[in-house]
Amino acid sequence: MDVRIETIGKGCEELVLIRCCEVTEEVREIANFVKSRQGSLSCTMDSKRYEIAVTDVCYIESVDGKTFLYTNEKVFETAYRIYELEEMLKTKHFLRISKAMLVNLMKIQSIQPAFNGRFTAVLRSGEKVIISRNYVKALKAALKGE
Amino acid sequence: MEFKRFLINKLVLFFMLSTLITIAVYLIGSAFDSEARFGYDALLTPIKYAALCLLPTLVMWSQHELSPKQILVRKALMLVLLEAVILFIAFTSPVIDTGSDKVILTLVGSVLVIFVLVNLFLWLQGSAEAKKLSRDLAAFQKLHEAP
Repeated sequence: MDVRIETIGKGCEELVLIRCCEVTEEVREIANFVKSRQGSLSCTMDSKRYEIAVTDVCYIESVDGKTFLYTNEKVFETAYRIYELEEMLKTKHFLRISKAMLVNLMKIQSIQPAFNGRFTAVLRSGEKVIISRNYVKALKAALKGE
Repeated sequence: MEFKRFLINKLVLFFMLSTLITIAVYLIGSAFDSEARFGYDALLTPIKYAALCLLPTLVMWSQHELSPKQILVRKALMLVLLEAVILFIAFTSPVIDTGSDKVILTLVGSVLVIFVLVNLFLWLQGSAEAKKLSRDLAAFQKLHEAP
């Protein structure tokens, strides 16, 4: 697939256009990536497709090879892998806090101590997630803007 | 956990244990044999004990993240091993009167108290770190929140 970037004048509507013979999984992935960069993620719940705002996601967890997005009240499944989401959402204040979890730093209420050099992040939704000791250093750096 | 970080944590624990064992030896010695006098080699006793007591803590090493339940089980195992190490030291030491139940019970009790105190200190240290992280988090959120 050829990639062309065209500069337009100020005031013109910006658009990402994908011209393809068939809407394949690859095309959907590209479209989803563009949407995620703009602040929304494609996901499913009960076989229905949804677009949810990245800012509504509290945390993302990978369980048995599947990736789930947790909002305040709902759980969605997404086709993305956790490492893909980590890369895509690092500018949206998401941080990896364990091997299988990303958390939205803006959704954390407070941080509490846990056993063995680990911490517990208490989310605004009331849920608690473990911050692995391996990722505490990265958390400190992220909070200091490093 | 990186092995380097694990070793640094163990070094911190070693110094904490050395200090607390010195205090325990002073209190037990004053209570049971206050007239005893020792040579300079006695100064190494708390260090040797701390080094021996550090060995059971190696059961906490894991490359993978332990669940809270696994941590509790391993901590219980560590306490049992610590008691075993202390009893081994007591029964192989010529200066400790292992014929007295009172002495044995005091030793076992001392290990339990030190174990609880060390874990309490570690918890307080983690609590202070968590408070600082919460403050940094609040500042981060204030800086990045939508207008």
